[in-house]
Amino acid sequence: MAAVTNGSAAGAAKNEKLGAENYLRIESVRKEFDGFVAVDDVSLSIRKGEIFALLGASGCGKSTLLRVLGGFEKPTKGRVILDGQDITDLPPYERPINMMFQSYALFPHMSVEQNVAFGLKQDGMPRADITRRVAEMLALVQMEKFARRRPHQLSGGQQQRVALARSLAKSPKLLLLDEPMGALDKKLRSQMQLELVNIVERLGVTCVMVTHDQEEAMTMAHRIAIMDAGWIRQLGTPDEIYEQPSCRFTAEFIGSVNLIEGKIKDDEKDFITITSPALECLAYVGHGVTGFEGQDVALALRPEKVAVSKDEPAQPHNKVKGIIEDIAYFGSHSVFHVRLAGGTKVLANMINSQRWASEKFTWNDAVWLSWDDQAGVVLTS
Amino acid sequence: MSRVMASIRRRLPGPRWLVIAVPYLWLLLFFAVPFAIAFKISFSSAAIAMPPYTPLVEWVGDSLKLSLNAGNYLYLVRDSLYVNAYLSSLKIAVISTFLCLLIGYPIAYSIARMSPANRNIALMLVILPSWTSFLIRIYAWVGILKNNGLLNNLLMNLGLIDEPLQILHTPTAVYIGIVYAYLPFMVLPLYANLVKHDYRLIEAANDLGAPPLKSFFTITLPMSKAGIIAGAMLVMIPVLGEFVIPEMLGGADTLMIGRVLWQEFFNNRDWPVASAVAIVMLALLIIPIMIFHRYQSKEMESRLS
Repeated sequence: MAAVTNGSAAGAAKNEKLGAENYLRIESVRKEFDGFVAVDDVSLSIRKGEIFALLGASGCGKSTLLRVLGGFEKPTKGRVILDGQDITDLPPYERPINMMFQSYALFPHMSVEQNVAFGLKQDGMPRADITRRVAEMLALVQMEKFARRRPHQLSGGQQQRVALARSLAKSPKLLLLDEPMGALDKKLRSQMQLELVNIVERLGVTCVMVTHDQEEAMTMAHRIAIMDAGWIRQLGTPDEIYEQPSCRFTAEFIGSVNLIEGKIKDDEKDFITITSPALECLAYVGHGVTGFEGQDVALALRPEKVAVSKDEPAQPHNKVKGIIEDIAYFGSHSVFHVRLAGGTKVLANMINSQRWASEKFTWNDAVWLSWDDQAGVVLTS
Repeated sequence: MSRVMASIRRRLPGPRWLVIAVPYLWLLLFFAVPFAIAFKISFSSAAIAMPPYTPLVEWVGDSLKLSLNAGNYLYLVRDSLYVNAYLSSLKIAVISTFLCLLIGYPIAYSIARMSPANRNIALMLVILPSWTSFLIRIYAWVGILKNNGLLNNLLMNLGLIDEPLQILHTPTAVYIGIVYAYLPFMVLPLYANLVKHDYRLIEAANDLGAPPLKSFFTITLPMSKAGIIAGAMLVMIPVLGEFVIPEMLGGADTLMIGRVLWQEFFNNRDWPVASAVAIVMLALLIIPIMIFHRYQSKEMESRLS
């Protein structure tokens, strides 16, 4: 996950440039459909200029929450406040919010120009101003050459640019993106992710996006809320969510993770130790947790933080013996599936930085796995 | 020997040819041949004979004489009855098409917005009346509209009117009958078009600042243009030549070309003039059909390019 480490450094720098706190406030919003709770008392505060991602599997309530923001669904309870104005009861056409729809929803009977001009016309903007603004928006997304085309004459990527131009034309206070890359192929997706972020940041638009693609959320957003069953499981910057998952759900949802079940043995102020039936020695974690001795916990270890070696490491704890059961080669790195003596399977990544590594491992090799004191995260829920 | 057989087989019509031939054969038998016969008769003169018109080609002595009588067509232009009948038919067809659109659009729109289960029931209700004979349904309207009919009795019992309204045998009755009978032909193509609309486009229009009514006029209505044209054609073309409804519900003064045609044919036994009336009507109908066809192929082209 090279993108994550890059993202965290850039993300921290970006966050300093953000504007006022509480620009968008979602206050205990709840949405029920015939007794089914789609959004369950969600509260969020989003800063001006922030790109905020709602991440979750389908049916987790993220799209419903976005539709509440857009005004397409009326919340059963709760308020939405944008820039000091309570917009909960405003219909979509009176909100200073524009949305880029999942499959773009471009008007098929209108040209690219007319699509972009549509919102401006509704505001009664003078014709000359509309022409100027449309040209400006099409230049922003590099679609000037296609102004006269109809949507069906454009490729998926071009349609997305038009949809973006259309949703930005009215300079909305809040831009909503519903699965912005959902309809694009993988290669175009990574290119458009960065381009979209650049455009949005250049204009300083506050942006809430919905996605089920964790990589997309990590690359594009300043902050991510992981949603499940209508409520937010964890909220944080991409690196916080990846490096410090707060529960088993987020740890397993984002990237891959090894969860080693165990009990707290020593609970000290600045470290804890864990006994686990899967390990022969103690697991030592170099930070405290709010727990108690004997509590059931899980040690979350990212595969890239687990080292593989032929010889036993010198450290007294955080090591375990196992047998390589499988090796998955990904080009830049390989993933070793190691079976421990107790039967638990642990994944360990190894970067293939040299063409021919000095230590070559193969199937059924007995190896040692080890990790350092700061590598693991203790999960209590 | 076998080579000869193969070459014969190659010359014989294959299955592909047969498939293409069926619709052409249909058109030839049920359109081209009757049209040619009517076209031929329209150039002869009426005569007391069997059939009641003069032949076009005759042997006079040693010469083959072909006589084309253009008098029937000139008669159509000279006698204002025919021009008026055409104009009146056109007026009735245009107005009733517009009324069908006005009533049919909301029906089609609401059916298209229903849940799929309710949709089928509603469509069934639209189609159901046509399971009864057309003639019986129109005759039923006589019972409803006549002076001591259902409608007048109801209004009088409610105390809304003191004496019966004269509706039957007026143009109003003709419009009621036509709109009633042809409404499904407007609703069905409109429904077929509207049901394909993506509701997200309306949401997108709302999102960009267009209130519901404005979104309807800027998005839904223009996008249903093809359905409107198809429905209008399906109503207007048969209404132009309509005979039964004006005959049963209209008054003596309800002038429609279908009735004139009937009178020429059965009352006057003037087959040549009746044929000329029919040929001119067909020519008038072909114009809107061609416009429709041209529009459709243009639409197809723009979608393909």
